[in-house]
Amino acid sequence: MNRTRLIFFAVILLALIIVGVSFVATQLSGNIPNPTAQPIQVRVVSALPIEPWVQDAATKFNAEKRTLDGRTIIVTVTPMDSVTALGKWDRGEFNPVPTVWIPDSRYLVELVNATYSAKLGRDVFLTDGEYRARPLVTSLFSWGMYKTRAETLEKKFGKDNINWKTIHDAAIAKGGWRELDGKAEWGYFKLIVPNPRKNAAGLLAMVAAAGEYYDKATITTEDVTNPQFQKWLKELMGSVTDFSSLSSYTVEDLALFGYSVGDGGQLLESDLLVNMQGIQTRWSDPLVIVYPKYLTWFDFPFTIWMGTETSAVEKNAALQFQKFLLSTPIQSTAAARGFRPANAEVSIAGAESLFVKWKDQGAKTLVPSTARMRAPDRETLQTLLRWFDLNVAK
Amino acid sequence: MKKKNPAINKGNSCALFVVLAVIGGMVAMLCGISALIALVSSPESTPAPTNATLDLAYSPEKDALMQDIIARFHKANYKTPSGLPMKIIATKMDAADIVDAARAGKFTAISPDSSLWLAQIDAGRERALVGESSRFAVTPIVIAMWSDAAQALGYPQKQIGWQDLLSKAKSDANFKWSHPSTSSASGLLATLAEFYAGANKTRGLTEADVKNRATLDYVAALEKTVRYYGEGEQATIDQVLARGRSYLDAFVVSERMVVYFNGKSSQKLVAIYPAEGTLWQDHPLALLEQPGLTDDQRLTFRRFRDFVLSPEIQKLILQSGYRPVDLNLRLDDPASPIKTSNGVDPAQPQTTLQMPSAAIIEIVQSSWYLAKRPANIYLVVDTSGSMGEQNKLTQAIDALVTFLDQVQGDRDRVGLVPFSNRVYNAIPSQDIGAQRAMLKTQVRALKASGQTALLDAVSYAYDDLQKRGDRERINAIVVMTDGIENQSSIKLNALTDKIKRGNASGVPIVIFCIGYGSDADWNVLNALADATGGFARRADPETIQKLYKILSTYF
Repeated sequence: MNRTRLIFFAVILLALIIVGVSFVATQLSGNIPNPTAQPIQVRVVSALPIEPWVQDAATKFNAEKRTLDGRTIIVTVTPMDSVTALGKWDRGEFNPVPTVWIPDSRYLVELVNATYSAKLGRDVFLTDGEYRARPLVTSLFSWGMYKTRAETLEKKFGKDNINWKTIHDAAIAKGGWRELDGKAEWGYFKLIVPNPRKNAAGLLAMVAAAGEYYDKATITTEDVTNPQFQKWLKELMGSVTDFSSLSSYTVEDLALFGYSVGDGGQLLESDLLVNMQGIQTRWSDPLVIVYPKYLTWFDFPFTIWMGTETSAVEKNAALQFQKFLLSTPIQSTAAARGFRPANAEVSIAGAESLFVKWKDQGAKTLVPSTARMRAPDRETLQTLLRWFDLNVAK
Repeated sequence: MKKKNPAINKGNSCALFVVLAVIGGMVAMLCGISALIALVSSPESTPAPTNATLDLAYSPEKDALMQDIIARFHKANYKTPSGLPMKIIATKMDAADIVDAARAGKFTAISPDSSLWLAQIDAGRERALVGESSRFAVTPIVIAMWSDAAQALGYPQKQIGWQDLLSKAKSDANFKWSHPSTSSASGLLATLAEFYAGANKTRGLTEADVKNRATLDYVAALEKTVRYYGEGEQATIDQVLARGRSYLDAFVVSERMVVYFNGKSSQKLVAIYPAEGTLWQDHPLALLEQPGLTDDQRLTFRRFRDFVLSPEIQKLILQSGYRPVDLNLRLDDPASPIKTSNGVDPAQPQTTLQMPSAAIIEIVQSSWYLAKRPANIYLVVDTSGSMGEQNKLTQAIDALVTFLDQVQGDRDRVGLVPFSNRVYNAIPSQDIGAQRAMLKTQVRALKASGQTALLDAVSYAYDDLQKRGDRERINAIVVMTDGIENQSSIKLNALTDKIKRGNASGVPIVIFCIGYGSDADWNVLNALADATGGFARRADPETIQKLYKILSTYF
């Protein structure tokens, strides 16, 4: 064998050895560094009322080890109040950027889109097409009130007359419940409203109050800056017992602390339904549900972030989770939590339904057809929040 | 046929050897590099271990329950996905101190007695420090009263309120009541209730209301009726258990403490749910988003939160007298301790006081220091020769300095009575604002030598306080000694007789005793404390600073 041939074979041998050793080394190290084999992460930021349901669904979804293009999809869910999330979107503070946002209401999506349209010249959440925002379930504001208190108010103000105006009159009664022909030991009338800085429902409750104050469905900045309205609202909010504690979950407060912290308030129907049993177990006085004239709906849209931070495969994985959430079995679990399913195949009129179970407490499968509150613009909401900070929170 | 040249063959062999050697070396090097790259680049390689231990601070009234829960949690051997054991290091701490510690960057999780402290942690911060939180037990704050004393006020037919309690305290000089300082939720509630009553309101308390002269005068008049304050409700209950009804007629604690007491004592307390309204302790468990918080610590927090919310632990919480957050557990179940035979009523409270904002609460706390009953305190300090051993005097000096720093504002009066063979270099009790620095200098100059004239020193301080006869103030002596009395001219019986007579006819003076180390004379210390309604506690060089800090909450 001549020298040239020898070197040739040596080089070939060397190449083979390098390939072989690299292969063995990577096998020994546990895995081949192939990014396409990594799981697809779907990061979901969910509004507080719906988060336990989404979290449970994500656990089931992950347990099924669903795949896309051969890669496992893993869904993680972070609870976050929609007002907080709105601020994070506005300031670009999400890191990493969530793949999916489920806010309380579609109008919050429109607010984020408005911000990014100004910045990027396009929407970041789509309103049509495959990736459009799709409601998962719905719920609405209804009055939840301890029965003894509701009966006393109806005696005082007339039957079926529980509304923001009569609640305001109760709130300003200097003699408290005694002046309202209730028991002196009940103290003053105590309204439950979530802290608007911790829970979007608190902000929407103020909007709903404004709607009834003006007797109209659309509220403007001019309306909420009217000094007479502000005085009226301040008197109303003055009857809230506590904005300082963990009052993100107000119906939980109502159940846990009973009538001692709140006689009632305009709260999410699903929260009321799901806590109804607990309230009856803990307190002797049951809760009743009354539907208001102006309805504030929550549609919990599943919205996929269309920015460059989300890859095509992540968007498609998110769609798989969306489909899972809208499937009949998962929608049935939503109904069991007091939500109105988006999937029409799932009924809330069955014997097991919370709506049927609590019919005698006022729950209705079909909501009376009344006016629907329309979403105010961003400026109106921010004006209300600023007013709250300066006049109530401090 | 061409004949092979052996030299060339030899040269070829050499070249082959060199080439193979070079190749071998390169292969070895490449193997190493490849393996290293593979190890580093592999996403599945084992991550560096991170910290999965949670540093948890919790308020002291739930000490036994928390220790039990944490022990059960550790027994379950939870691990993070990376295999790290989920551990909790728990520290018992006053709620107000938890706020300060959290803001100073300490602890990764907290469980104070009320979520109102969470708002104080985040007050004025641009970025919230309090992260995920959820409550696991609740209990209303009540006025605990002996059942016959409550009946004398009209209980249970009449709804008794803060006003009734305060009227009784003002009209009956023998009525002894107390509430903890504002560093706990029950103390803060009692103080808030006084400010509400002073402002004649049950809601809408404003800064102007709190600072109003008439409100402050009202609160100050009430605070004069307080026997003394204290470190917290568990300590109060322990004292009431030990001393019975002679200790206090009424005190502010959580409902759970009434259940706890009635489970241990034949004498029964009842929980008065104040007519004007009360507050709730809601025992939050909160994660603190401290810099450096690891994902594994976050996982430990969530695991622990789920654990305390589990049915097993929620049942344990109910059995310990708290109302569990699990609404499936019935309070009217026969096995539930929340029942009238335990002096509590599951249908109560009917109403609460409105909780002011964090800013107003801070004003209430600072105003309370101006309105609370001022104190006249003597620090009686043993500097006998034995105090020089085992670093005892050095630690005691640090503790005394801490005590002097802890006395808030300038209104309390503090004096110093060092003693060994006799009392020496005593500093009369004066407004601390005028002599805080001087007291600290004198304390730092203390030297150990001589014998132990403990009783003479106590007698000296007692006589001075009686001579002043200041009934407006809490009059107290804090005695610290490490040895046996062996030098006094006065005998123990003579001194305790003098104290009992003096307290009955003159100003009531309370004596708190610290037995320092293992040689303290407990007969003497207990006799002095018992004669005045105070208490005697043991300390060592490691705990004396903490004990003096605790004692400062009594004034």
